[in-house]
Amino acid sequence: MMRKLATFTVWIAILLLAGGTARAHHGNSAYDEEHTITIAGTVTEFIWSNPHCQFFVDVKDDKGHVVNWAIESQSPGIMRRNNWTRTSLKPGDQISVTLNAAKNGAPVGFSGNQSGKVVFADGRVLKMDVR
Amino acid sequence: MRRDRLYFLTYWTATFAAVLAFSSVARSQADQQHAVSKTSVAPAPKHNLSGVWQLRGTGGAESFAPEEGMPPMTPWAQAKFDAAKPGYGSRAAPGGNDPILQCDPMGFPRVMLMPTPYEFVHTPTRVLQFFEREHEWRSIWTDGRSLPKEPDPTWYGYAIGHWEGDITFVVESTGFTDRTWITPTGYPHSEAMRVTERYQRVDRDTILYNISVTDPMSYAKPITGPQRIMKLKPGAEIDELPCVWSDENEFTKRIREPAASKSAK
Repeated sequence: MMRKLATFTVWIAILLLAGGTARAHHGNSAYDEEHTITIAGTVTEFIWSNPHCQFFVDVKDDKGHVVNWAIESQSPGIMRRNNWTRTSLKPGDQISVTLNAAKNGAPVGFSGNQSGKVVFADGRVLKMDVR
Repeated sequence: MRRDRLYFLTYWTATFAAVLAFSSVARSQADQQHAVSKTSVAPAPKHNLSGVWQLRGTGGAESFAPEEGMPPMTPWAQAKFDAAKPGYGSRAAPGGNDPILQCDPMGFPRVMLMPTPYEFVHTPTRVLQFFEREHEWRSIWTDGRSLPKEPDPTWYGYAIGHWEGDITFVVESTGFTDRTWITPTGYPHSEAMRVTERYQRVDRDTILYNISVTDPMSYAKPITGPQRIMKLKPGAEIDELPCVWSDENEFTKRIREPAASKSAK
């Protein structure tokens, strides 16, 4: 009896929890939306335009090789409402970026969601989650 | 004895997890009600939707009705659906043939469910609805005219509107080109599509939005979306954000293609 009750309750819990993760996709099927990673490095470029603002960051790996990451954020309108401006990032800025990386292993990521953020060397944080 | 204890622990852990999951659903429903009744006490002005409004949604592009709520399609519509390769939903894949990737206008009702705002402006004979997305707009005629019998198909359709009571604006529209998807997930529509929307401004800051789509050339039954909330953004200004072909191309080269390529780095 106890075993049946336990099994039944586990299935109910699984179903309820699974329902919560079925959020709408954001056109980001190329990215691993289950996991975030944080990279750190030097801004090389910041493009303020549709469809999504993009910024590019030189990241040194543990062997000292530099890889240029391409990071997608949100449309300029959404960025502006999250307190970004077209000069929020400048080449040379030292930042860390929390993002969802491309599933194919390319140095490309998406930061324009609830979990994405940019942290500057002085501790300032810019996110992109307000709508 | 030990086995009984294991089942006992499993039962209580699972119950706890289920309660947590259920309470997050209940909390989001409570948030919806809170958004309507407690956030703002100022009443809605009469016959007035002026201002910048924002969908309270998931934060990304949404379909006006969920995939599991879509009715059976006609063979014509099914063929179009099968040919669509969207970037959203259960069939999402990198790349694809979404017409907006070429800067085709998003069209209606797809543009309504974007995480970007729109603005209503009243004139004596029309309500103008400006969409930040694509810097597009449509006229909703309020001078008592009927919908045209044979409209020229356009990207944003032909709309008429009237008030029911003091706070509910009802919009009927038709005359849509069939080149657009009605959802980001690639659902099609024909030129026979008719859209009905209700904007019920329940208080100064809140619209309850309902939409239904009737298209017998495509779907066996009308499609009704779940009620949604739109919130007023006082003082907000919508941006000028047209789809620019050269910017789309650059974005595709520098972001979309590297993220989608089959060969690993």
